[in-house]
Amino acid sequence: MTNWLRDKLWRHVVGVTVSFFALFPLYLVIISSINPTGSLQVSSFIPREFSLINYKKLFNDPTIPYLIWMKNTLVISGTVAILSVIIGASSAFAFSRLKFKGKRFTIQLLFLLQMFPAILALSAVYVIMERVYNFAPHLGLGTQPGLLLVYLGGAMGVNIWLLKGFVDSIPIELDEAAKVDGASAMQTYWQIFIPLAAPILAVVSLLSFIGTFNEFILARLFLIDMNSRTVAVGLQGFIGGQYSQNWGAFAAGSIIASVPIVIIFLSLQKYIISGLTAGSVKG
Amino acid sequence: MLEKVKHNAAKVLKYLFVALTSALLLMLIQSAFAKKEYEIGAFLVLALIAILVTYFSNVSIPLKFFLPGLLFLLAFVVGPILYTVVMSTFQYQTGNYISKPEAIERVRALGVAPDEAGTTFDVVIGKYNNQIAILASDPINKKYSINTLTENIELAVNVVSLDENGVAKEAPDFSPSNTAEIAALDREISNIRFKYSGDYFISLQGTSVGAVARQVLDYDKNQDKFTNLINGNQYIDNGKGNFVNKNDSEEVLQPGWRSPIWFSHYIDLIKDKNVRSPLISVFIWTVVFASLTVLTTFALGLLIAVAMSKPIRGRRVYRSIFILPYAMPSIMSILIWGGMFNTEFGAINTLFGTNIAWFQSATFARVAVILVNLWLGFPYFYLISSGAMQAIPSELSEAAAIDGATPRQIFYKITLPLLLKIVSPLLIASFAFNFNNFNLIYLLTGGGPRNELDGQIAGATDILISYTYKIAFGSNVQDLGFASAISVIIFLIVASISLYGVKKSKVLDSFS
Repeated sequence: MTNWLRDKLWRHVVGVTVSFFALFPLYLVIISSINPTGSLQVSSFIPREFSLINYKKLFNDPTIPYLIWMKNTLVISGTVAILSVIIGASSAFAFSRLKFKGKRFTIQLLFLLQMFPAILALSAVYVIMERVYNFAPHLGLGTQPGLLLVYLGGAMGVNIWLLKGFVDSIPIELDEAAKVDGASAMQTYWQIFIPLAAPILAVVSLLSFIGTFNEFILARLFLIDMNSRTVAVGLQGFIGGQYSQNWGAFAAGSIIASVPIVIIFLSLQKYIISGLTAGSVKG
Repeated sequence: MLEKVKHNAAKVLKYLFVALTSALLLMLIQSAFAKKEYEIGAFLVLALIAILVTYFSNVSIPLKFFLPGLLFLLAFVVGPILYTVVMSTFQYQTGNYISKPEAIERVRALGVAPDEAGTTFDVVIGKYNNQIAILASDPINKKYSINTLTENIELAVNVVSLDENGVAKEAPDFSPSNTAEIAALDREISNIRFKYSGDYFISLQGTSVGAVARQVLDYDKNQDKFTNLINGNQYIDNGKGNFVNKNDSEEVLQPGWRSPIWFSHYIDLIKDKNVRSPLISVFIWTVVFASLTVLTTFALGLLIAVAMSKPIRGRRVYRSIFILPYAMPSIMSILIWGGMFNTEFGAINTLFGTNIAWFQSATFARVAVILVNLWLGFPYFYLISSGAMQAIPSELSEAAAIDGATPRQIFYKITLPLLLKIVSPLLIASFAFNFNNFNLIYLLTGGGPRNELDGQIAGATDILISYTYKIAFGSNVQDLGFASAISVIIFLIVASISLYGVKKSKVLDSFS
C-alpha cells in the first residue's frame, strides 16, 4: 500500500490536476453554449438548463453571417491546403532527389527565409498588395484571392521541411531502377514518388489546413468586408470587447468551428507526434 | 500505345496550363504598367520569362519542379523582406504616404484661398461647345455667365431661363449634364478650375455651388519650392518628406510624401529617449515572456511526461485529455480565455471568489498571458518529452539502478541531462516562436494595459511584434517606416537565435 502511494499516487495527483486545468476552459465553453441566457456570467458550474438557442442564433441572426464565415474558411484553407501541398511535394522531390548546382546554398537560404515570421514583413505585404490592388482590384488588398496568394508564399519553405523526413525514407534505389529503365525525372515523380508519398501528402495538406485555419493577422488585415471574413476573424470581431453580451453565441460558434479541427488533429496524432519528435530524437 | 496517348495528353495539359498562366500574367503586366506600378510589372515580366523558358525548354529539370514555389516565395516572402528593409529607410507614415509628385499636386490643390468678398454662385454643370463648363448664377445681383476652363462668357438675363429662385437652368449652346455624367466625373470634379477673371477661378463645392478662389501656393519646379503669393512666404523641401516654411520650421504644408531619410529611424532608436525607452521596456518584457513561457511549458510538460512514464491506470485517458488544448484551434482558445478573465462575469474570478481586474493591472495581465500560454503550450512539451524519454536507452538507467542509484538520482543525473540535450533545439525554436507570438498578445490583452510611462503606444504586455503592429496599423498615426525599422531589428534577433538552434540540431547537414 505504501509502495502504491509512493509510486502511483503522485502520478494520479499530477494527472488529475493537469486534467482539470486542461479541461476547464473547454468545459466552460460547452456549458456556456447550452446556457439559454447566453451571458458570460457563470451562475453555476453545473448546467441547470439545456437550450440550443445560442446555436440557433448563429444560423438565424442576420448580423452574424456564420455560415458564410465557415464557407470562406473552408474555401480559403482548403485551397491553400491543396495548392501548398502541390508546391511542397514537387519542391521536396527536386531538393531531395535531383542533383543541381547551388542546391546546398538554395536549401540554406530557404531555411533562413522560412524562419522569418511572415508577420514581420506585414507592413511591406500591406503596401505591396495595396499597389497590386491599384491595377488588379481582384487580387489585391481586401480580397480573398490576394490573401491566398500571400499564404502560398510560405508554402515551399515550410512544406519542404515537413516532407523531407518522409522523402528521405523512400529508398533511392527505386529512383535509380526507374532511371535505368529509362524513366525521366517527371515520370519518376508521377509514377513512383507521388503514389508512395500520397498518404504523407494528405497529412501535410491537413496540417496546412489547420495552419491556415489558425492564421489570424493577415486574414484580419485583408478581409475587412463582413461577408468575406473567416471564422476566426468573424468571431473575433463579433465578441470584440463585448464579451458579456455575445458570449453564448460565440461559445457555440467556436465549438462548431473547433470540432472538425480537433477531430483532424486527433486522427493525425500519430503523424504529428512522430513529426515533432523525429527532428529531436535524431539530434 | 496507351502510354503514348497518356504522354501526349499530359503534354497538351501542360501547354494549356502554361498558356493560361502566361495569358493571365500578360494581362496583369499590361495593367501594372498602365497604372505605373513598374516594380511589380517588372517582377511579373521576369516571372513570365522564367515560366516560358523553364517549361518550353530543358534548361533545368529541377527548376520545372520548384519554379512555382520559388516564384511565390520571391513574391510574397523575399520581396516583402527586401521591401521592409527599404521602407525602414523612408519617412513613411500617415501624412507622408504618397509620392512626391502626388504630394505637390495635392498641396497645390489645397493651396487656394477664396476671394476677399467670398463670392459664390449657384451652378449647373454641363457642356458648352463640347467642353466642360458651368452655368453660374448670382440671383441677387442678377449676374449670369457660362464659365469654361478658358473663358468667362457673361450672359444677359434675357437669354437664360430661370427657375423660381432666379437660378439659371438653361442657356444657349449650353447643355446641362445628367446625374450619371456628373457621377462619372466623380472626385475630379472639385479639382476643375473654371475661368473667372484674372488669377481668380471658380471651383465647385459639391455639384450645385461654385466659389471664387485663387491660387495662393505656387510651386516653382526649378527651385523645388512653394511660394505663398499673398504674403511671400517660401516653403522648402525639409528632406524629411515635407515642405516647410523657410523661416519657421514648425509651419509644415500638408500632405507630405514618403521620402528617403536613410538611417534616421535607426538613429532615433538609439538617440531619442522617447523612442528608445518604450522600445527597451517592450524588448525586456518580450524576452521575459518568451523565456517564462518556454520554462513553464517545458516544466509542466516534463512533469506530466515523467508522471505518465509508468503504466498507471487511466494513462490513455489522461493522455487524450492532455492533448486537447493542443488540438483546439489556438485562436478559439485564446478568445475563450479572454472571456474567462473578464473582471465582472469571468469564470476565473467566479471560481476563486476573487474580484481581480485582470487586464487593468500590468502584473495581473502579465500573469494571465503566461498562464494562458502555459495552457496552450504544455501539451507540445509533454509530447516531446515523452517521445524523447523513450529514445533514451533504458540500459543506462538500469545500469545506474544496479549501481545503487535512487530513482531521483537517475532522473537528475541521467535522464534529465540526456533529455535536455535532445530537446534543446526545440526549446530554442519555441523561444523564437513565442518571441513573435502575436496572436496570443493581440487577442488576449491587445497589449494593454497601457501606462503613461510606456509612451504613446506600448502597453504592459506588448511584445515587440504587437508593438510593431500597433505602430504600423494603429488608430492614430500609422508609421510604416518606423515599424519596418523595428521589424528589421526583430528579424536580426530571431535569425540569430534560430541559427544558433539550427547549428545545435545540425538539421542542415542532412541535406546534401
